[in-house]
Amino acid sequence: MRNILMKIFDCISVLNLWRWLQAGTLAVTLLFSATPLLAAEKQGGTAEFQSLDRKIQGLKQEVLDLNRDLFVLEEELLFPASTQLAVFLSVDTGTFFQLESVELKVDNKVVTHYLYTERENAALHRGGVHRLYLGNLRTGKHEVVAVFTGKGPHERDYRRGTTLQIDKQTDSQFI
Amino acid sequence: MMARCPESLRRVVAAFLLVLLAVPALAVPPPKPRDVRDPHYGEVLYFFYQQNYFSALAHLMTAQHFGQFPHHTDEAELLRGGMLLSYGVHLEAGRIFERLIESGAAPGVRDRAWFYLAKIRYQRGYHDEAQDALSRIGGVLPGDLESERRLLHAFLLMRREQYREAATLLEGIKGQTDWLRYGRYNLGVALVRAGETERGMALLQQIGQEPVAVEEFKALRDKANVALGYIFLQAGRPEEARVALERVRLDGLMSNKALLGMGWVYSAQEKQERALVYWDELRKRPIQDAAVLESLLASPYALGKLGAWRRSLEEYETAIAVYNRELAQLDSSIAAIRAGRLATSLLHDDGVEEMGWTWQLEQLPDSPETRYLSQFLASHEFQEALKNYRDLSFLSGRLEQWVSDVASYQDMLATRRQGFRERLPAVLSSKRVQDQGRIAQERDRYTQMLGKIDWENDAEALANEKDQTQLARLERIRRLMSRNPVEDENWQRYRLLRGLLRWDIETDYPARLWEVKKSLQDLDRALADTETRRTVLVRAQLDTPASLDAFEGRIRALIPRIRVYQERARELGRLQAEYLAELAVAELNAQRDRLVTYLTQARFAVAQIYDQSSSQAPEAKEP
Repeated sequence: MRNILMKIFDCISVLNLWRWLQAGTLAVTLLFSATPLLAAEKQGGTAEFQSLDRKIQGLKQEVLDLNRDLFVLEEELLFPASTQLAVFLSVDTGTFFQLESVELKVDNKVVTHYLYTERENAALHRGGVHRLYLGNLRTGKHEVVAVFTGKGPHERDYRRGTTLQIDKQTDSQFI
Repeated sequence: MMARCPESLRRVVAAFLLVLLAVPALAVPPPKPRDVRDPHYGEVLYFFYQQNYFSALAHLMTAQHFGQFPHHTDEAELLRGGMLLSYGVHLEAGRIFERLIESGAAPGVRDRAWFYLAKIRYQRGYHDEAQDALSRIGGVLPGDLESERRLLHAFLLMRREQYREAATLLEGIKGQTDWLRYGRYNLGVALVRAGETERGMALLQQIGQEPVAVEEFKALRDKANVALGYIFLQAGRPEEARVALERVRLDGLMSNKALLGMGWVYSAQEKQERALVYWDELRKRPIQDAAVLESLLASPYALGKLGAWRRSLEEYETAIAVYNRELAQLDSSIAAIRAGRLATSLLHDDGVEEMGWTWQLEQLPDSPETRYLSQFLASHEFQEALKNYRDLSFLSGRLEQWVSDVASYQDMLATRRQGFRERLPAVLSSKRVQDQGRIAQERDRYTQMLGKIDWENDAEALANEKDQTQLARLERIRRLMSRNPVEDENWQRYRLLRGLLRWDIETDYPARLWEVKKSLQDLDRALADTETRRTVLVRAQLDTPASLDAFEGRIRALIPRIRVYQERARELGRLQAEYLAELAVAELNAQRDRLVTYLTQARFAVAQIYDQSSSQAPEAKEP
């Protein structure tokens, strides 16, 4: 917005030496007087920009819809509801724990090992939730183990784990 | 005004504040961690907080399709509007906001949403729509936003050349805000344009003399002083122009114009030697600047005024050579731009990982196309058009990736179809599955047997192996002893042992009966589970081909759709690149026209000098 200010009211001097050489006087033309012409040119340019902009917005909306359809297809194809298991991670430790990585095991098999960037950590601390794992699991009892690694108070290395027994039913399951 | 906000409305308000944070240049501290009740909504926020709006939108729309936000329906829709705004789809965002705002947001939240819509629409050149959004603001905005709103409204009025109304509006900006400085600057300009020159100049004087620490406001102060200097020059007041121009920094963006102006100040006062000092300094600076180009004419002009015609002639001829060279380079830049390389050159070092309104071109590549465009490239019109081009590049990349993703889905589908065709019948016809009936029959038989045992209280039927052995031994002993029916010590011992054994068996009978019943129940569950799985597999054998066919249909329909969008993205990208090139070429042509004017004037001046020398004018002293 401030750049607009700087540019609209820019000041250029156009010196008419022809008139000086003839009459020995100095003439200075301010950009101010030229601005209405520039404004008119920008109006024309704006109409063309808007026409393209509307078409581009339309395409963006359609591509978003396509993206959604692809996501839906992928989820239904790869992770049908009957076998779907999703594991989410959120943080509520305040500033006392800086999460660095998480390892997730299902039935003693490592299914994901995720390293968090600073940006991702900040998003978690603001209340975002990370979908750590999306996979398929047959019905029945299973064991899920998560091991968290990070920095605790005073920059001490910190490693903690948790175990969860789950009984997978035929609906999608979220942990 | 509601005394207590219902929970749903509080959530909508909280979502709105979140949405408004998607819009940049907002001095609001980040919100506290939110109460997220649906993990999929939290996942959207996870991407949102990282400004990955495309990914956030994709997940949000997918989760909305699956109904995975039961506790955050309204918030999700509002968030979608905000992200569409950040994604540059402000028309749809505006529709969402209208729907949701009018259905229940608090007035304060509503006003802020309309303000941000107005701001984005203005930046994108939708001035009428921006005016419409501003007109929907019902109250006074909080803090600096109100000043910003007045400034935005004043811009729109100035675009319609309603300068007096703009001046009135800007005079309403109160308090010590950053926007006040800009407001006063623009008010000064508006007043000058409206014919109230002295009032306007007085404001510009104030700004031009303010002590400031921030670079941005130092640049604004320089701008005010340069504007003032040239106004005074035009009014024939060179001394006042000098005072204003002397306040401009030598190393700022306006320094070239100030140096040029200072030269004209002294030239107007017939102090050509002083004028030359400034113009000679200016000539050492990068030649692409308009003020520098002009100084190439101004210097020989001053020399001519001093009577140093030979030097004046030499410098005019130098100027002509420079102008011709610059014209050639401008022409080569124009040719490069017309060859379609400008947009790709600008985005050459850009990763294009995400897209949206917040992106700005920060570093100009050094190329023939961009050499003369540094100032022009900062304009909103060009930046917005470039953003659109960049977004189209992003979309094209995604669409290309999806073509290969869809091919992968087809492969997955083919593998799954093959699996069902080959493995499922093999599983269903396997011995284990076939044995299920036999196992069920045996289960029934055991159940019957157990029922009889339970009814008859037949503890010995459940005797374990050891007890069975003992019973068998005692039975053999009884048969042996039955040859001697006389009641003696052996018979007594036999009866005692038999009684003890029977006691043990009877004592253990309830526990054993319970164990066997439990085992049969477990067997029942396992058989039921197996039957369920078998039924699922049988149903799958019938249903899966149809479901796979449906998937195949959906996948097949995606491919032409992607191709259509790819073609449109390509075409719009081409048009957008052409539009960018048009803008740039128009700017370069304006610069070219200016150079041609200078060239003409220089040539005329050379001709005049030759005319004068041929009429044998006396030699003047060299300065």
